[in-house]
Amino acid sequence: MSQESKQNQSDIELDDDDFVPRRRFLTLAGAGLLTIGFGSVAESLVGGLSEPLNQQVESLIFRPQQPVPEFAVSEIEPNKLIVNTFRFTPAINPETYRLTIDGEVNNPLSLSMGDLQKLPFKSMVIRHVCVEGWAAIVQWGGVRLRDLITIAKPSDQVKYVYFYSADGYYESWDIDSVMHPQTLMAYQKNGQPLETEFGAPLRLASPIKLGYKLSKWVTRIQLTSKLGKKRGYWEDLGYEWYAGL
Amino acid sequence: MTQPLAAKIFHWVSLVSLFLMITSGLQIYNANPVFGGREGIHIPPILGLGGWLAGGRHWHFATMWIFALNLLWYGFYVLLTRRWRHRYMSSKDVKALLVSQNEKRKNYAWHRLVYTLLIPILLLSIFSGLGMYKPAQFYWIVDSLGGWEALRITHFMAVPITLILGGVHSQLGRKVGGDRLLDSMFWSK
Repeated sequence: MSQESKQNQSDIELDDDDFVPRRRFLTLAGAGLLTIGFGSVAESLVGGLSEPLNQQVESLIFRPQQPVPEFAVSEIEPNKLIVNTFRFTPAINPETYRLTIDGEVNNPLSLSMGDLQKLPFKSMVIRHVCVEGWAAIVQWGGVRLRDLITIAKPSDQVKYVYFYSADGYYESWDIDSVMHPQTLMAYQKNGQPLETEFGAPLRLASPIKLGYKLSKWVTRIQLTSKLGKKRGYWEDLGYEWYAGL
Repeated sequence: MTQPLAAKIFHWVSLVSLFLMITSGLQIYNANPVFGGREGIHIPPILGLGGWLAGGRHWHFATMWIFALNLLWYGFYVLLTRRWRHRYMSSKDVKALLVSQNEKRKNYAWHRLVYTLLIPILLLSIFSGLGMYKPAQFYWIVDSLGGWEALRITHFMAVPITLILGGVHSQLGRKVGGDRLLDSMFWSK
């Protein structure tokens, strides 16, 4: 499926062939005895029971406007950020690149990199935390996502935001986390222009969500009042949706 | 020999929830071993619970409630019933360990020392785990333990320490009270 047709899609459904079949994934993951009978069946049951509760507690303790303390530039760990990509690294020409912001907005946008770089620049040194357990202190620079959202004039009903990437990756977030002052659409990493394998020309960066929420190569941001059946590449395979830090 | 029902419930819930916390924790550990990263030392997958990372996390973050709330109500119980005054390691036990010639008294002191030590270890695992689960909200927990790597090591070390103390605890329990003590904590009314 080409990126063009995806961008023209107005609903939030994606092709089913985007998914690694769950069973194959379990085999890939190298399941142990406990896991084969017990784990995989119980996984969805346990997750289904506990996740709604955990999510409520997580969003309850989350302070949407409270910045997370940042680190000094000298604390940056340039070698610790691991490249995790689910499929391939797309080549995007920054000259022709456009970021689409649409959905339930009064002012849909299509922005070039030049447009984005004219908006107020925000830099932060934060801890990037991966679901796998590793973390890296990284400097990110770019545009506050909330600035972009404000320009797009969202309707009052907007509660969620979808992010679509050039490699077919997709994610969805709660609006409070989107509007957090440290949630950026970044085009700079550790003082340098963002490299392709880290998501150039534009990626999500934030200290308040796990790494798999921080999409690379974002081409479309869609605001919506309700979550679709598909909530994110990894979420649809079983990862938790909220994934707040 | 009898144990209060509350002690039996606490003991059982601790045992089962710890088993689930440790096995699901090892599953999570294997996604990126604390020691050496992806090429590092993996735990044999058979010891992991949940099948893959997401499953391990579901088990871990579901069981954490049972595990932590069990310690919480037991804490209140121990305070309110004043069991803390005479059921745990005290200066008398230290004295027994240092000077007593009575083998039985010494074993008893060791027994009390080991099960008393388990409590702060379990509390530390909750503290470090909370810091790892919500490092942005509880950044001060990460800082207090000396950064991310130190936090991961602290949280992981709860596993071998708990397993060793738990193993010694069961042996000392048998030594001190034999089958009667065992039965009183697990089965008998």
